[in-house]
Amino acid sequence: MTFRIPHSTLRILAALFRINVAEELQYRANFVASLLGTLFWIVTALLTLAVFFRHTTRLGDWDYWEVVVLLGVFNTLTGVIEAVLRPGIGRLAGEVKSGGLDLVLAKPVDAQGFVSFRRLDVWRFSDVVLGLVLAGYALHRLGRMPSVAQLAAFGVTLAAAVVVVYALWVALMSLAFWFVSVENLSVLFDAVYEGARYPVSAYPGALRFVFVYLIPIAWTTTIPASALTGRLEPGFALVAAAVAGVVFALTRLLWRIALKRYAGASG
Amino acid sequence: MTGALDWLRRYGALLRAAWLQDLQYRASIVLWLLWGVTEPAVALGIWWAIAADGPVQGYARADFARYFFALMLVNQLTIAWDSWYLDSWIREGELNFRLARPIHPAHEAVAENIAYKARTAGMILVVWLIVAAAWPAVRLPFGAGRWALTAAAVLLAAAMRFFISFATGLLAFWTTRATAIMELHAGISLFLSGRLAPLALLPPAVARVAVFSWFPYILAFPVDLLTGAVHGAAVVRGFVGQIVWLAVWLGAYRIAWTRGLRRYGAVGG
Repeated sequence: MTFRIPHSTLRILAALFRINVAEELQYRANFVASLLGTLFWIVTALLTLAVFFRHTTRLGDWDYWEVVVLLGVFNTLTGVIEAVLRPGIGRLAGEVKSGGLDLVLAKPVDAQGFVSFRRLDVWRFSDVVLGLVLAGYALHRLGRMPSVAQLAAFGVTLAAAVVVVYALWVALMSLAFWFVSVENLSVLFDAVYEGARYPVSAYPGALRFVFVYLIPIAWTTTIPASALTGRLEPGFALVAAAVAGVVFALTRLLWRIALKRYAGASG
Repeated sequence: MTGALDWLRRYGALLRAAWLQDLQYRASIVLWLLWGVTEPAVALGIWWAIAADGPVQGYARADFARYFFALMLVNQLTIAWDSWYLDSWIREGELNFRLARPIHPAHEAVAENIAYKARTAGMILVVWLIVAAAWPAVRLPFGAGRWALTAAAVLLAAAMRFFISFATGLLAFWTTRATAIMELHAGISLFLSGRLAPLALLPPAVARVAVFSWFPYILAFPVDLLTGAVHGAAVVRGFVGQIVWLAVWLGAYRIAWTRGLRRYGAVGG
């Protein structure tokens, strides 16, 4: 259950990162395409909100610009997902099926770490930037200048959010060891994550319970956005960090159990 | 000249193949299904919250529930993935052996659509019936005439979406970003075809523009027919719109197919 980070790990990560950047720099048109895609997504999301707010002034007790802050956080996390998780651990299900995972396991590195961070679509990090810009603009429109404590809380809760999103992917992808034939497990994440686009307080009670305790996507967007808009006591960030720690440990355990089931296919 | 019986036999074989192929990917299909229903489910959740204090322009909570349940079903019955298939067929040369067959590749695609839809829509229908047993809000009034009309509208909508998807997928003959165009189409249809909200709840100017596009006819119209939200002359207008736009997209598909094939230089050698 330990997660040691030996010195060599950092060197491996740095090497992987260099290779990826060099590879991606060959396809510069992809940068424009991905940027346009993100802008289109943001416009669509804002228009969606505009439709809802034609008929209400508050959504789950949040007003328009507060929900836009949340959209900014959502977009930031989308950037992390598309840049790191989908191209890395998102490919796991296919590899469990084809036996390609053998090659990973044969390497003298931590399998989970390698599978998770082997591939980076660097262009998609522009989503992180655009998301933060959107959140900042919405804060400006709210007329709220976050205090240092709130900014710190935002930093901690956002980091916790990244960990929770990562853990969700690990948990989902571990299912591949039981349901070998399912290659599109990442679709399940997209389906569930759709719910994170709005504050959890907007959902009926049962669904809210699910999103906070069972499939903890409330911790990924609602909590960081609340920290930024001052809805949250800054000290609550520690709870978010604890949640992230527990979720991470649980999925690490699940990964270990799942890996034991893997018998390899090419062997 | 081949007789109708020949075609029946051919479709029998194509459907059986498609059905058996899907059988291998049962779990995957359930995941796509889940992905398809979360968007309307989340939209319903938000409208449910907004309608807490009373009806929104005549739409009470129960109306939203009925609308989005009907939308899930109609969407699943009319959805078409063909542009994604065609894009990879064309780029990776998998179109070649399909062209060599004595039957147009579109028939294989049609058969796949029927098999996929029968399976997924069947699942939604079962879930709907179970939910309706416990939750009166999503029950539909019985009416043989209305259901027959809905069936016709769903069929037309499915045909439209098939040709829209197929024609857009054929753009892969010219560009590597055909699927991006389909994503753009999906983004616009979110608003104009009623996936996000009943068209009546959009800004009036947008709703007025929407009726001149094909979008309302691929989802909103059959959904409104099913829930009983359209009557009289509007029903006729809806069918006219569906038939006109179906003809337009059929034409677009024919042009893209003949022009594209002439350009196609077969990647796979």
